[in-house]
Amino acid sequence: MTTNSLAPIVTLLQQHRAAISSEWMTEVLRVWMRLYPGLVNEDELRRQADALLKELGKLFSEHSGEAPPDITGNSELGEIARELSSERAKKGFKPADTAQYVITLKNVLTQHLVRTLNESPTSLTLCLRAVDDVLDRLSLLTFDAFVETRERVIAQQSLSLVELSTPVILLWNNVLLLPLIGVIDTVRARQLTERLLESITKHEASVTLIDVTGVPVFDTSVARHIMKAIDAAQLLGSRIVMTGISPEGAQTLTKLGISFANVISRATLRAGLAEALQLVGRRIEFTGGVHK
Amino acid sequence: MNKISVYVAGEPNVAEAVRTAKLMASELGFARIQAYYIATAASELAANLFIHADGGMFEVSALTDRPGLELVVTDHGPGIADIEKALQDGYSTAGGLGCGLPGVQRLMDEMDINSQPGQGTVVRARKWL
Repeated sequence: MTTNSLAPIVTLLQQHRAAISSEWMTEVLRVWMRLYPGLVNEDELRRQADALLKELGKLFSEHSGEAPPDITGNSELGEIARELSSERAKKGFKPADTAQYVITLKNVLTQHLVRTLNESPTSLTLCLRAVDDVLDRLSLLTFDAFVETRERVIAQQSLSLVELSTPVILLWNNVLLLPLIGVIDTVRARQLTERLLESITKHEASVTLIDVTGVPVFDTSVARHIMKAIDAAQLLGSRIVMTGISPEGAQTLTKLGISFANVISRATLRAGLAEALQLVGRRIEFTGGVHK
Repeated sequence: MNKISVYVAGEPNVAEAVRTAKLMASELGFARIQAYYIATAASELAANLFIHADGGMFEVSALTDRPGLELVVTDHGPGIADIEKALQDGYSTAGGLGCGLPGVQRLMDEMDINSQPGQGTVVRARKWL
């Protein structure tokens, strides 16, 4: 095809880019400034909008033929859209407010096309369809980027949670404390077992207190994870004192038919500590303070 | 809030299922210990969905005719070949402790299992207020 049926779009994007950009940004900024004050960098947005329109113009001018041009995430245009979208996601924008960015551009372009091509309906239809198609794909791309970013954030958070939640504490010489808090799943179980075993070796721990006060539900999989950790710890020569099983937890464990056979168990961490100290031949003594 | 479903495909969903069951149990007025039993049973049933099948639906609902709570898990996994054996303590096909299903039976008031080999399994467990 020698005459590009989408030429009017190219002309529009060349001659009226400033106007389109300004109309588009006015609308976007109006909404975003109200919803996310302080999170919007106006200059940056305007720069991005100009760059995006320039790339969009390039896309339409390099294109010839009836089928609308393709957009991939790797293209310059896709890159700009992804970057913008993932920035919004990081700043906590809602997906709908982020999608509005491309939708607003579509509205502005449509208005301009209708105004310039109202004399030639065939050309208008073709151009509108092409704009529709390209911007819809751009929309999908920004949406993908948004979700990807959010998912990365969530994955990061759960990683940091795992990091945070399995400390092994040296309570006294040769006495370790492993406080368990929250849901014990396979990943956490593996990690806490590794840490526990490392610490037992490092500190030559002869007694390890495992406190389960913070474990919300004691079911067979949690029990199995803890049993494995205990077995491994005992192989390294550490006695285990388990503390903090709630009365509900104790009754549930018996109903399930689970017993921790080789384990000393105490209701509270206090009683468990006393037991542990006794096992290493020590005790806590009153030395004459104000409180008795 | 008469019925809540959670699709269970992995461990994070189990935690969600347990939370919903616990919440509904306490909202219905179950005592602490009963709510704990229900939560544990929910955990066993939900975990079975991804251990034995590729995942499945977990539902907790309030019973009204006779006040109570019902847990229903549905999967399209391999089914249970021998239900009687599955209800024996210490029997497991997945390297577990083998006290999941028999445990649920003891934690809840009623339990029935409907399983077709190759088609899937439905387990219903009820506890009365």
